[in-house]
Amino acid sequence: MKRLSPLLPILLAATNASAQKIEFNRDIRPILSDKCFACHGPDAKNAKSEYRLDSFEHATTAIDGVTGIVPGKVKDSEVHWRIHSDDSSEVMPPPESKRSLTPAEVALLDRWIEQGAEYQEHWSFVPIPKEVPVPKVESDWLKNGIDAFVLTKLQEKGFSPSPETSREKWLRRVTFDLAGLPPTTAELDAFLADTAPDAYEKVVDRLLASEASAERLTAEWLDVARYSDSYGFQVDGDRFVWPWRDWVIRAFRENLPYDQFITWQLAGDLLPDATRDQKLATAFNRLHPQNVEGGSVPEEFRVEYVADRVHTYGTAFLGLTMECSRCHDHKYDPITAKDYYSLSAFFANIDEAGLYSYFTPAIPTPTLWLPDAKQEAELARITGEIATLEKDLATHTASAKADYETWLAGHNAPAPLPEPIASHDFEKVVEGGFPNLVPKGAAAKTNANNVLVEGHRGQAVKLTGDDAVTLGVGNFTRSDLFSVSLWMQTPDRKARAVVFSRSRAWTDAASRGYELLIEEGRLNAALVHYEPGNALRVRTKEEFPVGSWHHVALTYDGSSRAAGLRLYVDGEEAELEIVRDKLTREITGGGNDTIVIGERMRDSGFKNGLVDDFRVYDRTLSRAAVKSLASGATTFTPDPDHFFTHHDAASLDLRTKLLAKRKEQSALVEKIPEIMVMAEFEGKPRETHLLERGSYLTPAAVVAPATPAFLPAMPADAPKDRLGLAQWTVSSDNPLTARVTVNRYWQRLFLHGLVATAEDFGSQGRLPTHPELLDWLARDFVNHGWDLRHLLKTIVLSATYRQSSHVASGELTTIDPENTLLYRYPAPRLTAEMLRDNALAVSGLLVNEVGGPSVKPYDVEFSFKPSTPDKGAGLYRRSVYTYMRQTAPSPLMTTLNASKRDVCQVKIERTDSPLQGLVMLNAPQFAEAARALAAKLVEQHGENDAALVEDAFRRLTSRMPDEGERAVLKGLLSEQQTHFESRPGDAKALLAAGGSAPSQTTQPARVAAAATLVSTLLNFDECISKR
Amino acid sequence: MTGDPFPFLSRREALTRFGGGLGGIALASLMGKAATAIGAPAPFLTERPKAKRVIYLFQSGGPSQMDLFDYKPRLNAEQGKELPEEVRMGQRLTGMSGNQASLPLVGSPFQFSQHGESGQWFSELLPHTAKIADDITVVKSMFTEAINHGPGVTMMQTGAQIGGRPSIGSWLSYGLGSMNENLPAFVVLVTKGMKGQPLVSRLWGSGFLPGEHDGVRFNPDKDAVLYLNNPPGIDTTSRRRMLDRLEELHRIQLAKSGDSVLETRIAQYEMGFRMQASIPEVTGFADEPDSTYQLYGEDARTPGTYAANCLMARRLAERGVQFIQLYHQDWDHHGGLPGGIKTKCQETDQASAALVTDLKQRGLLDDTVVIWGGEFGRTNYCQGKFNAANFGRDHHPRCFSMWMAGGGIKAGHSHGVTDDYCYNIAEGGVHVHDFHATLLHLLGIDHERLTFQYQGRHFRLTDVHGHIVKEILV
Repeated sequence: MKRLSPLLPILLAATNASAQKIEFNRDIRPILSDKCFACHGPDAKNAKSEYRLDSFEHATTAIDGVTGIVPGKVKDSEVHWRIHSDDSSEVMPPPESKRSLTPAEVALLDRWIEQGAEYQEHWSFVPIPKEVPVPKVESDWLKNGIDAFVLTKLQEKGFSPSPETSREKWLRRVTFDLAGLPPTTAELDAFLADTAPDAYEKVVDRLLASEASAERLTAEWLDVARYSDSYGFQVDGDRFVWPWRDWVIRAFRENLPYDQFITWQLAGDLLPDATRDQKLATAFNRLHPQNVEGGSVPEEFRVEYVADRVHTYGTAFLGLTMECSRCHDHKYDPITAKDYYSLSAFFANIDEAGLYSYFTPAIPTPTLWLPDAKQEAELARITGEIATLEKDLATHTASAKADYETWLAGHNAPAPLPEPIASHDFEKVVEGGFPNLVPKGAAAKTNANNVLVEGHRGQAVKLTGDDAVTLGVGNFTRSDLFSVSLWMQTPDRKARAVVFSRSRAWTDAASRGYELLIEEGRLNAALVHYEPGNALRVRTKEEFPVGSWHHVALTYDGSSRAAGLRLYVDGEEAELEIVRDKLTREITGGGNDTIVIGERMRDSGFKNGLVDDFRVYDRTLSRAAVKSLASGATTFTPDPDHFFTHHDAASLDLRTKLLAKRKEQSALVEKIPEIMVMAEFEGKPRETHLLERGSYLTPAAVVAPATPAFLPAMPADAPKDRLGLAQWTVSSDNPLTARVTVNRYWQRLFLHGLVATAEDFGSQGRLPTHPELLDWLARDFVNHGWDLRHLLKTIVLSATYRQSSHVASGELTTIDPENTLLYRYPAPRLTAEMLRDNALAVSGLLVNEVGGPSVKPYDVEFSFKPSTPDKGAGLYRRSVYTYMRQTAPSPLMTTLNASKRDVCQVKIERTDSPLQGLVMLNAPQFAEAARALAAKLVEQHGENDAALVEDAFRRLTSRMPDEGERAVLKGLLSEQQTHFESRPGDAKALLAAGGSAPSQTTQPARVAAAATLVSTLLNFDECISKR
Repeated sequence: MTGDPFPFLSRREALTRFGGGLGGIALASLMGKAATAIGAPAPFLTERPKAKRVIYLFQSGGPSQMDLFDYKPRLNAEQGKELPEEVRMGQRLTGMSGNQASLPLVGSPFQFSQHGESGQWFSELLPHTAKIADDITVVKSMFTEAINHGPGVTMMQTGAQIGGRPSIGSWLSYGLGSMNENLPAFVVLVTKGMKGQPLVSRLWGSGFLPGEHDGVRFNPDKDAVLYLNNPPGIDTTSRRRMLDRLEELHRIQLAKSGDSVLETRIAQYEMGFRMQASIPEVTGFADEPDSTYQLYGEDARTPGTYAANCLMARRLAERGVQFIQLYHQDWDHHGGLPGGIKTKCQETDQASAALVTDLKQRGLLDDTVVIWGGEFGRTNYCQGKFNAANFGRDHHPRCFSMWMAGGGIKAGHSHGVTDDYCYNIAEGGVHVHDFHATLLHLLGIDHERLTFQYQGRHFRLTDVHGHIVKEILV
C-alpha cells in the first residue's frame, strides 16, 4: 500500500507555478537537493565541481568569469543554459549522473531565477514560532485547533471534510491507538450510553491513564530504540536489557514529561544525584548491535557502536540523517563530517570494549547494578563490615609497630622464605613437562616447541609465543592473597606480549582473570572481571630492560584495589601508574583455571622470551621477602608486613575475618544483575577523531564534543557532555526535536506523518503537508511542558481524527488519492503487536502482567534461530514482551510488518502479503484464540445462530453486523457445522489448537464451526484495520 | 512516499495506463511489487537481459581457494617458511592469527590437474565440478575488505559490511518483480543442521526496501514457509468455504467504503490459498525420476541437504522464481583443513555440478546465472601450529575464487591471476561491487540506476562503486 501523498504539494505547486510566486523551500530546494547537490552541494571537498548551489552567495558568485545565477536575468545565468543544453558534455545534470530534470522542473528553475533566485533557510531549521496563529475559520465541524488548519486547507481547494464516524468506530480506533487493544463490549456499551458532552474526553482520559497505554507507547518506542533481547551480529547471544524496557513502561505510565524522557535516556547518569531509574534510562544508548565474532578488531566495532548511537540520536530526536556525514560532508544537508564526529564525541566517552566476552557471561561495561531491596540491604551491610574491618586492621597495624620490634628481637636468626605452592626451575623436561619443586606439585605442561636454553641460573625455558607452559595452580579470586615471582628476559622491546596469565583469552574472554604483560615496553599487570571497565590495572613507569635477566614479582593483597597490586623489578618496588582501579566483580571463570606462561588465545605471546625460576605463592609476599628472592637468598629478615601477615595473632584474626567478608560480598555481588548503561569515562576524556572515509583505520584530527554548527549553538556555559547535549536537544531554541516528536506521534495515529519522511527532516525529506499545523502542535506540546498525553488527547479529540474512513467519490479521489488533505481518516491496518494482542484479548487468553523478562510465544520455534516456546503464561502475554532475537526476530511478528529492531526505526511499514494471511489463519496463536472464543460463544448462545453471529461480530469489530453480513456469517456457521458434524476427528483436533487445555464442550462440531467463524472475522478487514 | 519509484504516478493513473483491473494491481503489490510493475519503462533497465534468474550457491565460511581452484605449487615448494613481509605488505590480519609469533606457509596437500578443453585447474576434491570445466568461468581474483564472517557475508549479500542494506535478491525483487504469482520472487534454502559460522536472517532481508521484498526461506520441515498449512482440523474444503465467506464480507465492505485496499485484501487471501498448493508442489519431489538422484546424488532424497536444495533450486527456477539463494555452512577451516574441506566438497561437489548440467540439459542454463562462492578466501600460511598433515588457514580477503555459469557468462573460462603465493592479486581483480554490478548487468539492470531513496539518499546495491567485468561476459 504505497501512498504518494507527500509529493502532491509539489505536483500542485508545479502546475500552479506560473500563477504564483516561486517559493524556494517548496518549489526549488527539492529539485536542487535531489538533482544538483550531489556535485554542487554542501560537500565541497568531495564535489566534482567548485560551483555550489546550496546558498545564494555561492550560487551567484562568478567562477572564472562565469556566473551560475544572475538574479532576475535568466539569459545571463549559466545555470539556465546548462539545464537547457542539448550538448551531452554541457548539459546539467550530466548524463553520467543518471539524473535528469523534467521540463516542468527546468521551467520552475528558470522562473525562480527570473523572480530573483531567492533562497530560504530550510524549513525545519527555522525556529518554531513562539506563537502559531490558528486560522480563523467558522464551522460547527471544528473541535480544536487542529481542525482549523485542516479545514482551511480543504476549503482552499474547495473541499470539505468527511462526515463524522460512528461512536463505535471512534472508540475502536482510539482504544487501539492509545492502548493497543480492542474495546471490550462493556466499554462499548458504557460509551454508547454516555450522552454527556465530555463522553469522548472521559474515554481518552481513561485510556491514557491505563497500564495498557503505557505498554502501547512502549512498543512504539522499542522500534525507535532498536530494542532487542540479543546482542546481534553473527553470534547474537542473549542480553539482559528488559529492565530498560520496564523503565520505559514506567516512564509512560507516570507520563514523564517528554523533554525529561529524552534527557534521562541521553544523560540520566549525569543529572545531579541521579536516581537508579535515571541511570537505567541511558541503556537506550547501548541497545545497538554488539559483536563477539572471534578475530574481529575491537576498535572497528567500538567505532561502529558509537556511530549507531549518533545515528539513533539523529533519527530519533532530530530527524536528521547523520549517516551521510560519517564518510564526508553531507551531500544535501549542511552537516559536515566534523559535525558528525563532534557529535559522536559525546557518545564515545565511556569505558567500553569493541567486543563483548564470548567465554564469560559478563555484561559489557559500563554497567548499572540492579539489586533487589534485600540484596541492596545485604550489600550495604557487608560493605560496611568490610570497611570496619579494614579500618580496624589499619589501626591495629599502625599501633602495633612495637609488637613487631619485640617479635623480631625474639627471632635473631634470619627466617626461611615463605613456601611457594608451585615452583619450576626449568632445569629439565620430564615426560613432556617441567617438574614442580613443590612436593607432589603438578609438573608444568608444555609441548616440544618451547625449549630449554641457558638461563639465569642453570637452564631456562625459551618461549615461542604460540606454545603454552601450563601450570597446575593459580585459580585465585579477587579476595585471595597471592604472589608470583619469576626471572625473565625479553629479547626485544615488546609492543604487547603476555608473560603469564590466568585467563582463557584476551578479547574473547574480555581478559577475565589476571595477567602480567609487557605493553609498549613496560610491565603491565591486571586483575580483570571485564576488560576494560571492570578491572584494576597498573603499569610500570619505566620500560623493562631488553636483553638481560631480571627478577620480577607481582604481589596482591585481596583488596580489589589497584593499591593492593604491586610489581617489583630486581627486588625493588616498581613505580606504577594506575590505569584502571575499578574491580567490583569476580576474576575467576571463563576457563583456563591455572597459570599459563608465554601464550594466550588470540593474543601476542612472549615470543622468544626467556623465563626461569617461576614460583607461585598463596600469600602477599612482603617487600623484604621479594628483595631476598631477587637476591637469590633462601632466607630473609622479616619486615613489619611479613610480621603482620604471618605472625601477629590479632592481625591474622582480622585478616581471616576480612577474607571471609570479602568472599561473602563477592558471592552476593555475583547474584546481583547488572545492565549496560552510559557512564562517563573516569579521568581524561577519551579522544574522538574525525575518521577519514569513516574508517577506524584512518583517524584524522581530534574533535571536541559539539553540536552541529548549522543549528543554534549550545550555551557557552553548558557542560560539554551528554547532559549538555540533552539540554540542547530539548531547549526552546532547538527547531527540530519538538517537530520531529509530534510528527512521529501524528504518524502513529494517521499512518503518515505531516512530514511523510518521519526519519528525515532534511533537504531530501518531504515537506510538511500542513506546515503551520505541525508548528502549532509542536509549540502547543512544548507550552504544555512536553506533555505527551496532552498531545495525544488533542489529536484524538479533533474532528479530523473523528472523520469517517470512507473513500470519497468524485473529484477528491483524483486530486488527492493519497489523502494528503486529510479529508478522511486513513484506516491503517493494525500493527503486528495489535493484531496479535487483539486475538489474545478477544479470546480471553491474554495474560495481562506488566513487565518482566521477555517471553517466547509459539512462533519462536520457527525463527531462523529457533528457541523453545514458553509454556503457560508466556504464550499469552502482550506482544511488547515478545522475545526479539536480533538476527532472527519473531517470524510471526516480522511477517506482520513488525520492525526488525536492528536499527532505529521511526518509519512505519505496512505491506500486505499472502504470507500474512497464512499466519493469521493458521498460526496456533490465532487458531487457539479462535477456538477459545468459539467455546465461549457456544456456551453463551447455544443453538441461537443469530445471537452467536451478532455477538462474535460485535466482539471483533465493535459494531453490529448489517443484514448482508449476518447472512454471510450465518451461512458460514451452518455450512461449517455440517462439515464438522461429519468429521468429528477434525472438530476435536481444532478444539485442541494451541497450548491451553482443549475446549470442553458437548457440541464439538458447533464450537469448531464457531471457531472458523471467529477465524474468518479475525481476518476481516474491519477487524484488522482501524476503520 | 520515500522510495516510490514512480512518485508522480498515482495508483489510479497506473491502472488506467495498463487497463488492468484493480485485482491486477493488487496482485502486483502483493508479490513483491516490482518497480516495473507500474509505469513504463523503468529507467534502470538496459537492453535485453542475458539472464532471467539467479541461483547463488553460497559457501559460507570462506572456502580455501588454493586447495580447490587456484593451483600454487610454490607454496608446496616453500612449505614451512615464513610468509615474506614483501608479500604481506603490512596488511591487516584477523585477531585469530594476527598475534601469532610465526606465519609459516603451507602448500595444498591435494593434487591438481587440468580438465576439459579449457584446461581449467581443479584439485582432486572437486571431481564433479571438474567435469563442468567447460561450462563455467572461474574467477580467481575476487577480493573484499572484510576479514571476519559477519561483515564478509553481509558484504557479499548486500554490498555493505554492516547490516541494514537490502540483499541482492531483494533488489531484484524490487527491480523486476515476480515471474510467478504463486511463488515468491526470492527464495532462500539453507542446508539443514550445519555447524560452523552462524548465518543471520537479515542476509536475505529487504533492509530499507519494503518488506515484501524479503527473501522467503523454505524450510525442509512440515511447513515450507511459516504456517503454510492449515491448523489441525481444518481441511481444504473448510478453508475454501471460509475464504469464500471472507471475500463476501470484503465485497460488502468495499461497496460501503470504496477503499481499494479491500481488493488487495481479497487477493491477499486468495494468493495465500494458492500458495498452499503451489509451494508443496515445488518442494515435493514425488515426480522426480531416479535419474535425477543419479545426477544430484542420493543425498538429494533427504530434505534439507545441500543436494536436495540444489534440486529444489532447479524446480524453483523452472517455475520462474527469480532469485534462489542457497547457503551451505562450515567452510571455516581454521584447523583440520585437510579433513574438513574434504567433507565440505563431498557434500557439495556433485550436486553443484549436477545443477549446472541439469539446467543445461533442460535449456535453462542460457538464461540462468549460477554462482558458487563464499565471503572471502583463506591464508596461504598456517593458522596455529605448523603441521603439514593437519593444518588450518585463517581468513583472507585479498584474493579468493568463485565460479559462475550460464546466463551470459563465458563457458570454460578462467579470469584473474593471483601471485605465486596466492596472497595478492596480480591481475584482473574483481571487487564484490564489481561482481554485483556484473550480476545486475546480466539481468538487464544498470546497477547505477537501480536506486531506492532512503534517508534522503539514493541507495544502490553497489553503493558508489562497481564496474562490469566485461572479460567474463559472452
